[in-house]
Amino acid sequence: MSAVLREGRVILFGRSCFSQNVANFLMPGSSVRNLSTTAAVQKVQSGRYKVTRDRSRPLTYEMANQPCQIAHRKSWNSWNTTTLYEGLREPETVMDDVFIRKFMTGTWHNLFVSEVIIKRQHNMIRIAGIVQQKLAARKMYFLIGYCEELLSYWLKCPVKLELQIVSDKKDVIYKYI
Amino acid sequence: MSEIWLRQVYRGVQGFRLHTAASLASEINPAEEEFRTLELKTVRQEKRTMRDRKKTPILPPRYKRQKLDQNWGNVWPTARTFHPATVPFPVRQGYPATGQPTPDKWGNAELMKIPNFLHLTPPVIKQQCEVLKKFCTPWPAGLETPAKQEKHFPATVSTSSYLHSSPSLRDDRARIVTMKVSLKSLELDDHGRDKLLRLVKDHHDPKTDTLTLVADRCPLSTQNRDYCTYLLTVLYTEAMKTEPWEHEKNVADYERYVWEGSRSEAAARALFNARDDSPSEDVLTEYAKVVTELHNEGEDDSSVSRYRESVLKLVGLT
Repeated sequence: MSAVLREGRVILFGRSCFSQNVANFLMPGSSVRNLSTTAAVQKVQSGRYKVTRDRSRPLTYEMANQPCQIAHRKSWNSWNTTTLYEGLREPETVMDDVFIRKFMTGTWHNLFVSEVIIKRQHNMIRIAGIVQQKLAARKMYFLIGYCEELLSYWLKCPVKLELQIVSDKKDVIYKYI
Repeated sequence: MSEIWLRQVYRGVQGFRLHTAASLASEINPAEEEFRTLELKTVRQEKRTMRDRKKTPILPPRYKRQKLDQNWGNVWPTARTFHPATVPFPVRQGYPATGQPTPDKWGNAELMKIPNFLHLTPPVIKQQCEVLKKFCTPWPAGLETPAKQEKHFPATVSTSSYLHSSPSLRDDRARIVTMKVSLKSLELDDHGRDKLLRLVKDHHDPKTDTLTLVADRCPLSTQNRDYCTYLLTVLYTEAMKTEPWEHEKNVADYERYVWEGSRSEAAARALFNARDDSPSEDVLTEYAKVVTELHNEGEDDSSVSRYRESVLKLVGLT
């Protein structure tokens, strides 16, 4: 028969006893399990990167500023009217954004050095971001056209890609930790 | 240990050679005869070097090829994400890291995130206004003052349309139509006005004397607009009509106090006639006016004092 300690009451399975004094049950031979707890640390870990010993981890500006710095030192990656008062279509827009980000980072494999920025204006979707210059220009043009075409069919909106090319990914490094 | 079994066990091993009777029987070069080492792990002798990729030349930024007096409207015609090579001036954005300057415009995602208005510079706006001018017509003659507008167009119909950043442009609230009419323009007589006010109740604003009709029961705004005009027509026609049962209206139903035929009149006349000195009728009319004001407008210091004066005059004490 197992017992559970809960708010000073001990409840035995199969037989309920109301006991004001828990100590009555802490007799030798009784089956009582104790739980040891510590104070909760309540540490925020979101969006924070661990410092390395030799300061070798590179961080972009986006990574260096934690989520609490949004609207202070950082801006949003997704711009639309869904979060305004009586704005419509919020959940569908969020799912579309998730899909767009996965699609872009997958199509431009290992090439994005910033987050994918999605801006919606009326029914147009403008996707922006910083891309490395690893591919030839012709391949880039093809990928841009491919992404725009397929995404516009999937999302039922005109889609425009506005990418910035960076020659070396070290150019977007903000600091090392 | 059969030959097949041995081959099976050591099948992945490089450099494994099974000596069988057949191989022994074949001619073996004595010079090459040496103990072979069993290599379980393959060790590559030389490391393959990566092919030297052609370094694509980094072109100079685009703004270096732009003239200083270029037409900026042609360079940035629509809303566009910030691009550092096209924008000629230096711009910095971001919180600087310790010992570093503010991050510059190259590879700056923050500058790309925020909306920019490079497509709406003042010369561009001016140019757009010039183009739009040909679609504009002058303000109609004869409608210069608000009074004239009110006279010719007394009814105002307003609708709202809503924009969202979504593939669909439907919004339920766009069907709501509001119609505002001033009752002065309807030119009703007393009975008509009284009947209309009883019909509309809350929809009338006494301060501005306007009737507001809001229609949202139909799915389309055109339908709601038609419904509004229908409502107004019905209200007006009903107000102009006099039903046979309306003569049953008694004093308790009156919306305003009427002195003629009231108990106050009877009492005042009795008092007036009982006086020995024949006062003028003005005393009675003034008393009527003041009592009506007290009932209709409510009590006020000034109206109560006026009542006092008129009562004293009626009684003959002044």
